[in-house]
Amino acid sequence: MIRDSKTPYWLVGITGLVFILLYGPIFVPIASSFFALKQGVVDWQQPTASAYVTLVSNEGILVALRNTLVVGGAAVVCSLILGIASALYVNSGRSKDRALLQFIIFLPFLMPPIITGLALLIYFREIEFDRSLVTVIIGHTVFVLALVYRTLLVRLQSLSRSLVEASYDLGASGWQTFRYVLLPNLTSAMIGAGILAFALSFDETMITLLVTGTDNTLPIRLWAMMRLGFTPDINALVAVILAFTTLLCLLAARYLMPRES
Amino acid sequence: MSAVLRQSGAWPARIAVFAYPLAFILFPLAAFLAYSFFWTEHGTMSYALTLGNYQRFFTDPVFLPVLWQTCVLCFEVAILTILAGYPVAYFLAGLKGRKRYVLLMLMLVPLLMSYVIKIYAIRSILGGNGVLNRTLIWLGVIDDPLTFFVFNLNAVLLTLTVLLIPFAVLPIFLSLERIPRNLIDASADLGASAAQTFLRVILPLSLPGVVTALTFVFVLAIGDFLTPQMVGGQSGFTFGRIIYSQFGTAFNWPFGAALSVILAIMVIGAIAIGTVFGRDRSAGR
Amino acid sequence: MTTERLLLELKAVSKSFGQTEVLQRIDLAVRDGEFITILGPSGSGKTTILRMIGGFESPSSGEILLDGADISALPINKRPFNTVFQDYALFPHMTVAANVGYGLKVRGVKNAEIETRVGEALQLVALRDFAGRFPAQLSGGQRQRVALARAIICRPRLILLDEPLAALDVELRRQMQSFLKDIQREIKTTFLFVTHDQEEAIAMADRICVMNSGHIQQLGSAHEVYYRPASEFVARFFGDNNLVEGRLGPSSGDRRRIETPLGALVCAIDGQPHLAAAPEGAAAYAVFRPEALSLASTGSSEENRAHGLVTGLHFAGAHTLTSIRAGGHEPVNLRLRLPSKVEGVALRAGEAADLYWRPSECRLVLK
Repeated sequence: MIRDSKTPYWLVGITGLVFILLYGPIFVPIASSFFALKQGVVDWQQPTASAYVTLVSNEGILVALRNTLVVGGAAVVCSLILGIASALYVNSGRSKDRALLQFIIFLPFLMPPIITGLALLIYFREIEFDRSLVTVIIGHTVFVLALVYRTLLVRLQSLSRSLVEASYDLGASGWQTFRYVLLPNLTSAMIGAGILAFALSFDETMITLLVTGTDNTLPIRLWAMMRLGFTPDINALVAVILAFTTLLCLLAARYLMPRES
Repeated sequence: MSAVLRQSGAWPARIAVFAYPLAFILFPLAAFLAYSFFWTEHGTMSYALTLGNYQRFFTDPVFLPVLWQTCVLCFEVAILTILAGYPVAYFLAGLKGRKRYVLLMLMLVPLLMSYVIKIYAIRSILGGNGVLNRTLIWLGVIDDPLTFFVFNLNAVLLTLTVLLIPFAVLPIFLSLERIPRNLIDASADLGASAAQTFLRVILPLSLPGVVTALTFVFVLAIGDFLTPQMVGGQSGFTFGRIIYSQFGTAFNWPFGAALSVILAIMVIGAIAIGTVFGRDRSAGR
Repeated sequence: MTTERLLLELKAVSKSFGQTEVLQRIDLAVRDGEFITILGPSGSGKTTILRMIGGFESPSSGEILLDGADISALPINKRPFNTVFQDYALFPHMTVAANVGYGLKVRGVKNAEIETRVGEALQLVALRDFAGRFPAQLSGGQRQRVALARAIICRPRLILLDEPLAALDVELRRQMQSFLKDIQREIKTTFLFVTHDQEEAIAMADRICVMNSGHIQQLGSAHEVYYRPASEFVARFFGDNNLVEGRLGPSSGDRRRIETPLGALVCAIDGQPHLAAAPEGAAAYAVFRPEALSLASTGSSEENRAHGLVTGLHFAGAHTLTSIRAGGHEPVNLRLRLPSKVEGVALRAGEAADLYWRPSECRLVLK
């Protein structure tokens, strides 16, 4: 741990301890995935990759993985389109309906996910919309929209208003201004927000559990597997998922971190 | 505002941006609220309005105590995360330059790691045969596995705390970071010791962040039903779990909706209290 | 270059934001080919005028005419005007060449032609070698020139400049002032320039429109505005003018007397018929510039005179500003600007001084 000269040691100690608390639950399953499991207990003497072999041949998990990727991709696309439209709309002026729109978009982020999930569950039943991956995509879009919208709005607000005015002033139409001036300046925020949204969707459990039909996503599959008890491939799956999520986080950080100029 | 963008305020644009949020956020929440006034018997829904669900909540001896117990639990979680998170935030805010943000990022990265996996891992660490007990036995501290944190409310408390610490660190860090360096220098210049400066300058100025952290963690903890379901066992019953069971095993949706409305009111109340007390008074607004 | 032909006319234009009225029935005519400056303190409404002409704001009432046709309803991108923004508003993700060529590109001009015209425009602003750079890699003065090149490339009828030099340091400002003036002469396009800096306005403009709190105070050549202020505000706005309050006396031809604590002063009123028509006894100020005052040793008897005590000397480089308390029981503070000399000026603090100034350099403004 990096320490400034005046920082007391106990502060470094607590920080270190908290990091262990945070990363322990991530590393323990990864480490155990490379060892054999005997009666539900990890045998640290016996390294093996058999868990990964079982994993790859597990049809149910592969289907769940495909579902997760489909849902994540669709939710990212939907939330980006809605997020850009809403951010442009809210940024274009100040009025009551803009504040209302922002409030509605933030609601699923303020409310516990169980409420968002239950509300959608009841609503889909009442409008007789069968639960499927489509309802999961809708639910995930609702959930990640606030984040995508907020990220894009902040980026839009950081752009000088005179850029848009300059574009119109030089004869550009509204579409040309969007295409040539706004969109290029939003790209990195869009990529960053998109990756973050994908990571959230990839991991979303509470809403998914309520709005999914017979289709499983990976977290739901995991949830079901864990309730039944330990199987060796859980740890392997966990390791794979964590590696993937880490990759996503690194990518998101690259696009969202302020660039030094 | 400027004439440039006025064209985007037209009705087609308005309808386009409002359609999805209305259809899939506001309407479902409205349907959900309405549901809490319906009732069900033997699996058939009745759309006649009733206050029966709320009446049941207040008169049945089960629900109010569970709600109270859950609130206490979540408050304890919030306090624990702040006790752990404040020193970390203070440490991070004291760092200079790049390493400050790298460490902050590292603190936040676990948030994006699978929630279910983390619960599962903590359960396997805490369990009777888990890493923690086996380490303690190996060290000779104990002879038999400890059980007071296995499948009960203590397990829920510990798990939620570990899961939610980053949510406490971030707002406290942000409020500490906003304290102008020269205030701390001024306090030292006026003869205050490091401890006095902390107690009289830094701590009061970071309180809004602490309140925000408290609200954050409380709201996230009270809405969670996965953690208690997974590590709570038979005795670790929380309000979130009761709600979830109404939509699963009990299959009483209107009653579940009513319980959720009560949960939503608790959350809104917590956010409102947090907003009032978390307001940054030094900002002068 | 200026012709008498009108390019643009504002007729009874008013603008309110909510309850605040920022412009009150403005009439302004811009001549084809002139360099006109709108000068005023912040909050005077000068930028609002520019933004309404550009189309960024629409007037609450009144008309904006281009070649006699109302363009108030014309959207920004249809107006043959281009703007140089205060913060330059260069597109950060485009090169200098792409920024300059943007106006042509969105009009669907062919790439080959865009390239030629961008080259010409960059040549004009002496930035040919910088075509491939990004705005962040340029200095303030260079960004300014890119913004100008971008504005002139579409050959607009009018170029609007919104305090474009405000962000530059003094030396660079001077250079840019003459640079802008040269460009304007070369491309023969009308410039409407907004500034709060009097010296800048005087240095650049064919005509200056002085604004204060939503009203036009005076419209005239730099010389007129400087030497023949039309109102107390204009008189005070340009530097260290001496204003001596008094009551109007009789007039004779191009001269009018004013009774002041310094005695009767004679002021020139040629070209200002409203001053000849003002009733006797009306409250007014005699206005004369500090450099119009001379020390009286050879002055003739009919000129305006004052006698007083030197209260302070303020060395300001090329000249020394001298404060003098003049008059009897109602003393008046006068400022006198003397050329600085290495051995110091002829006066010392506490000494008596006799001053005179010619009636032709003494003007009147009504209170």
